[in-house]
Amino acid sequence: MGLAACREEAPAGEGNIGDELDTSGSIERNRCPLETAALTADIEECSPNPTDYLPETPGADTWPACISDDNQYHRIEDNVSSIARVEAYDAIGALLWNNPMVPTISDFLEARILLDSSEGLGSRVDRRYDVFFEPPSAGASCGDEGIPAQYPDYCVGPSLLRPWINEAFSQALSGEGLLQNAARIHAALQWFMMISVLKEATTCAVTPRDCDSAWAYYAGGTQRDTPIGLGAEIRNMSRQVHDRVVDGLLALRCWRDLDSANTAMNLDLQRLATSQIENALYPGMMLLIRQRFVALARCGDETEAEAILEELRVLVPLWDSRIRIWSDESAETLLAQVGGELAEIDPIAVLDALDSVMSCP
Amino acid sequence: MNVFRPPDNVGIHVKTGFCCFLVMAGLLSGIATVRSDTGDENAVENDVDLFADVEDFESYEEFESIVVGSEIPGAALSPIRARSSVTRDDMDIRRPGSAPDAVRYEPGVFVQQTAHSQGSAYLRGVTGQQTLLLFDGIRLNNSTYRQGPNQYFFTLDSATIDRIEVMRGGGSTRFGSDAMGGVLLVRPLEPVWNPVVEGRPFAWDPEMTLSMATADRSYGGRMASQLTLLDSVAVYGGVGYRDVDQLRSGGPIRGVQTEEAPLVPRFAPDGRTQLGTGFDEWTADFVLRYRKTRTREWKLALYTYRQMDAPRTDQCPAAHAPFDHCLMYDEQFRNLVYVAHEGEYRNPLFRGLRTTLSFQQQHERRSLHRPGAYVRDTGIDDVYTLGVTVTGYTPRIELGSQFAYQFEYGVDTYADRLRSDAWTTFTDIGYTVERSRGQYLNQSSYLYGGAFTEATMNWTRWITGRVGGRFSWIGADAPGDPESGTSPVHRRWFPGVWNIGMELAPQRPVSLILNVDRSFRAPNLDDLTSRQQTGPGFQFENAKLDAERSMTVEAGLRTSGVIRAELWGFLSFIEDAIVRSPHDVQDCPPGTPQCQTSWNRFQLVNADSRSQIRGVEGVLQTLLPWGFDARSTITWTFGEDGDGHPISRIPPLNGTMELLWRHSIGLSSGAALRWAGPQTRLALADVADERIPTGGTPGFAVLDIRLGYRATSDLRATLILENLLGTAYRYHGSSVNGAGRGIRFVVDIGPVWRR
Repeated sequence: MGLAACREEAPAGEGNIGDELDTSGSIERNRCPLETAALTADIEECSPNPTDYLPETPGADTWPACISDDNQYHRIEDNVSSIARVEAYDAIGALLWNNPMVPTISDFLEARILLDSSEGLGSRVDRRYDVFFEPPSAGASCGDEGIPAQYPDYCVGPSLLRPWINEAFSQALSGEGLLQNAARIHAALQWFMMISVLKEATTCAVTPRDCDSAWAYYAGGTQRDTPIGLGAEIRNMSRQVHDRVVDGLLALRCWRDLDSANTAMNLDLQRLATSQIENALYPGMMLLIRQRFVALARCGDETEAEAILEELRVLVPLWDSRIRIWSDESAETLLAQVGGELAEIDPIAVLDALDSVMSCP
Repeated sequence: MNVFRPPDNVGIHVKTGFCCFLVMAGLLSGIATVRSDTGDENAVENDVDLFADVEDFESYEEFESIVVGSEIPGAALSPIRARSSVTRDDMDIRRPGSAPDAVRYEPGVFVQQTAHSQGSAYLRGVTGQQTLLLFDGIRLNNSTYRQGPNQYFFTLDSATIDRIEVMRGGGSTRFGSDAMGGVLLVRPLEPVWNPVVEGRPFAWDPEMTLSMATADRSYGGRMASQLTLLDSVAVYGGVGYRDVDQLRSGGPIRGVQTEEAPLVPRFAPDGRTQLGTGFDEWTADFVLRYRKTRTREWKLALYTYRQMDAPRTDQCPAAHAPFDHCLMYDEQFRNLVYVAHEGEYRNPLFRGLRTTLSFQQQHERRSLHRPGAYVRDTGIDDVYTLGVTVTGYTPRIELGSQFAYQFEYGVDTYADRLRSDAWTTFTDIGYTVERSRGQYLNQSSYLYGGAFTEATMNWTRWITGRVGGRFSWIGADAPGDPESGTSPVHRRWFPGVWNIGMELAPQRPVSLILNVDRSFRAPNLDDLTSRQQTGPGFQFENAKLDAERSMTVEAGLRTSGVIRAELWGFLSFIEDAIVRSPHDVQDCPPGTPQCQTSWNRFQLVNADSRSQIRGVEGVLQTLLPWGFDARSTITWTFGEDGDGHPISRIPPLNGTMELLWRHSIGLSSGAALRWAGPQTRLALADVADERIPTGGTPGFAVLDIRLGYRATSDLRATLILENLLGTAYRYHGSSVNGAGRGIRFVVDIGPVWRR
């Protein structure tokens, strides 16, 4: 990392409190199994919407010929800075939630340095808004004083995600709940990745390079078969869902190829592309949640189960508004389940609630 | 007021210089200078003696009174150049808020502000490390001056300045590296050999200035005092303080055609007050002059400037960042101490000699605050500079009655030593992580200097010629930092440069000046080693850079008389120009994640093709009946690289107009208009720069009204109605919009005569 730890105002190596903090040893994790079998059978029987762009099957869609027809994402600009942030997400994951050992305080410290490097992943969490919600009145932005508190759902990055992440790091760096806090950070960043894909896909209408960012936030700027970041997590769970998300991102690029003016004109085509991404990404994220609930039910390690529950306690409330589009009842069930104690969770009720709102990717 | 007499070639212009001073002052410097200093200009002009010398004056004071103010000791500007000056009198009329503000009314100068607390003068389309700052003949430029605008000119307290000489065009022959676009020579206020107390053993003259402005709710003051002892010791010293709040502008500006408001600066809810502005500053200065004879003296001078809590406007917050993210210059200090000896000798090799020994510290501590993340990134950079200069001139040698020549020469060398650290603090847990390197590499060093000679020849009254050359030495050394993938630097350059010029009919109503100048800039430690977030993106080092060189051809026409005018045209070619080149993410150095995560990343490279900048500068001044003076300037600059692409941040067509009326009872009033056209020719780096509105910076016209009253020789009040029309405006490339409608009020108490 090229870093040395020391006290504020004495950067020339007067002390190394990292050593003092770094108290935990190497404890191997007893992970709860995250099985692909946790998926519902229905998903595999899904077929694409008639308006979907399908670059893997030439001639199978109604889209005009475009740059994405070779099934490859072609960047609008050579350099996509978001890729480095997704790489940081994976690097943080390797230290915290994907670490085969229980993460140490040093791991958290290193993760925080990665997160909060200048212009890094954390800087985008701080400004991220969720295009699912209505924006503030004209001229106001989530960067303005008071706006995040006024619009917590829209300004989800500064109002919710950042405080959760801060709290998780703060607790972990005090030695509390290392696994649980790693899981909370994972969930918050996972949500950040998802809404970033959708945000960038939306703003691509006025800033073409944002299409590249949408693609990058999903799979770190990789092509279909070699994703990293959120894309890798979804692909590891369901190749089918992953492919559908990639199809949507290629649709987005296809639209921007056909509508290449700096400010896009064909917003109908953009809506088709963003809908295709949404329709795949939402089930993908829902499956991640479903997978965790199933794992929770089968987990033999209470600490690991608590960590998964913490992850769900972040993700489920964030999903709430979207789930309520389909079913208030399911939303209430899910909130109630994650709000209770570990022992009180009813797996059947949870899976019923989830499956009732699950849609085809 | 220095006893160091300018070289005889300038001495040739002593009365000529007087005339020249009249002409130059009339044409180029403030209106007030002409009115207060010249008297009957025609009478003086008729009194010109081409070969006048010091002995031609009845007293040294007469000589001094004429020469003083026209030249900088040890750093004399040739009159055969495109130059202008801002006098103390001009500043007392215009009441600039800073040193950069003081040169806004000069032709060929365009002042950009990245922050309210910064200001960088563009001279002929370039700024920063491509222009040279000198203070009393001592270089302020050091090896950390970066590409593009910087804040260092702002660290000269305008209240301590007696005069600013602006030379446009290359000046490396005389002044060395960096002087490609021009030179700003600042001459400080000094203790005078007070004629009022001549013959008395002791004199003490305290003075005080109080100022306030409504646009930035600033208030401040300066107390100073002069002490004269036995006509051989004179001391002048002062302290100043200013508290500056956030700057209220005329409102947001909008991009040309696009009508989009730029994302920086961020505004307070009133839509006018700019976040990321405001600062505190205090200054102190002390000058002691000692002379045994009237032709030789020692000078000891100390200056300190301390600016605190000055946000960088375009990063406080940055575009898209939360409102509370802020890059703050917690400390921006400059300390300068020097000893100078000046004297005249009856020696065939040196008729006059000036030697200086200086030490300077430039200190900068900046913090990027991200309170939402409980993170603070801090960096400290200190530059310690030791400098020695020796400049002199020979006696003037006459060959017959029609031809004379004289040599000036000099040697100068400066040595920089750097300290640079950076660390990140997580404020919620009080934990600090040191970075393996700072913005620069700790313990880097830079040695730069050279030797020059310049000859001036006069052939009759009709032709003055000038030719000179310099040999320079520059060495850069920096340790490597394997952890961040930084290579060590050990580079040497030995460039040679030259200039040649002539003035035809220098004493006539119309004269023509032609100059060719070869100047250079060696890569400095900023180019070779720095990593930093700049306006357009992240910039990383290039240890393989070579020196950039310019060739400037300029022609000027000067007229004198009731209507005084100058018109200059220039063409500069820059070879191996050091420019920002966009780079891919994979080119980022290791251990620098902000390089990869920035939207844009650049590395400085030597351009393959030759860039060129061309332009026209004009100034027109006229004395009108009933106590009115008028002065107007206009500047047009065009720059493009070898591929025909615009050069970054070339100023738009711009100019000024001033009208002044003064009455013998002490009343004065005037109006000043600053204007600029839109700038839509944008370089790639400009397009990526959030400071520049999409589509380009719109034009503007800003009107100020000035009122003054000088009640007695010890009391003066100045009221300026700033931006009377409340115009929303921005100097192209700036982060901060200009002040909105407001009042600036200044009261001087004390010996106003000294100004």
